Amino acid sequence: MTELRLVEPEADDGPFSAGTPLPLRLPRGRHGIPAGVVTEHQRLRLLAAMTAALGEYGYANVTATQVSELANVSTSTFYKHFGNLWDCLLAAYVAAADRLCTVIETRCAELEPGADPVLAGIEAGLGLFSAEPELGLLLSAQAPRESPAISAARRLLVSRLAEMLRRAGPEDDGGRRPVGLDERLIDASLTFLHAQIARDATDGLPAHAAELAAILGRPRVAA
Amino acid sequence: MRQEACAAAREALPVESSETNSPTPDATIREGEMEGVLHVVGKLGYRAASVRAVLEYSGGHRKQFYDHFDSLEDCFAQAYATWIDRLGISLLEAAVTESDWRSSVRSGLTQLLQFVSARPDIARALFIEVQIAGGAALAKHDEAVDRLAGLLDSVRGEIPPGGEPPGQTGIFVIGGIEACICDALAAEETSRLWNALPELMHLVVGSYLDSESAEEAFEEARAMLERDRARLEGDPG
Repeated sequence: MTELRLVEPEADDGPFSAGTPLPLRLPRGRHGIPAGVVTEHQRLRLLAAMTAALGEYGYANVTATQVSELANVSTSTFYKHFGNLWDCLLAAYVAAADRLCTVIETRCAELEPGADPVLAGIEAGLGLFSAEPELGLLLSAQAPRESPAISAARRLLVSRLAEMLRRAGPEDDGGRRPVGLDERLIDASLTFLHAQIARDATDGLPAHAAELAAILGRPRVAA
Repeated sequence: MRQEACAAAREALPVESSETNSPTPDATIREGEMEGVLHVVGKLGYRAASVRAVLEYSGGHRKQFYDHFDSLEDCFAQAYATWIDRLGISLLEAAVTESDWRSSVRSGLTQLLQFVSARPDIARALFIEVQIAGGAALAKHDEAVDRLAGLLDSVRGEIPPGGEPPGQTGIFVIGGIEACICDALAAEETSRLWNALPELMHLVVGSYLDSESAEEAFEEARAMLERDRARLEGDPG
């Protein structure tokens, strides 16, 4: 009897493997690509386009039409995927936040013994923001009035990064570190980076790593 | 806070006091329109704001509005510049009443939180929606941040050589305070801000001075809140 078992896909074998640029269009006509794959492809293109459109037009002017055009889909396709612009933005935010956390965690997991995890994490994050400033802008900006869900997603990202900072911190604080201090430090870092990106100073972002690490790494609790 | 730093900052803020000149009726209307645009932008969001909504708040006429401003964007930019300077002056005035840097920081911060608690819609326009608007208003925002960072930096003269914090510390710390304000405004819970005051004091002082000073600042702020919180939250400042 033939043994049935689940086949794990090859890591870099799928149509949308990590790191592979998405094709702008799938082939026209009868291509035999499953409908679910086409839909997912459209969704990923829309998320990438949302981030790019935000960088290009800003929160004040970005529209669903611009996002659709950048994604090379019709606006009706846009609305099949998302109820409105803010739903799309939220999905883009969540995906970008996951990427940032993964980049930092991966970098910290590869560290040599004795290396500073705070500096390594900051370098990893700044590297991503420098390579993809639109993503940095999306993650670091305050959300507009119309989208309280993005504010909530930003708070969640701040909490995740603050937890990483706590884990990386060298201090044995005896429980005296103020509860929300790490969240304040992360929030301050994001706001600082937002100002740099908004000033088009993205090339210089990696140069801030040591300074940010020095600020975040200051002893905050008396011995 | 150092008196000379405060004096320099005051000179850099060329805002006329409304107490010295009685405003003309036209100036009063313009003032109402500027308050109106900040209120509306804070309430509805920059994208949803309109001249009509501003006039519903301020009570003026469309022609008067366009006599005063080129557009809604121009009105926002001018209103922003005026109000952020006024806020800067009020923080400065609160800070200079104190004799040492740590107390000055606490007084300035308390004044800021009182303003945000009393005028959350205006604060939302000044701190959050300005990032949506961008342009001249955002440039003015960045100027204000630089100026406040410079005031915080006045303590560097008291730090022994070798103990100085990194050069961007002031900008970083102001960003942390601003993010905390934005967070509370987005959640529409300004009482959160008062809960965060001790942490913010720890953040500011610990970023410049040693950890003992940061812990003392934290405890002082906590004691002040226990004593004065009801008054502070109720006082429009």
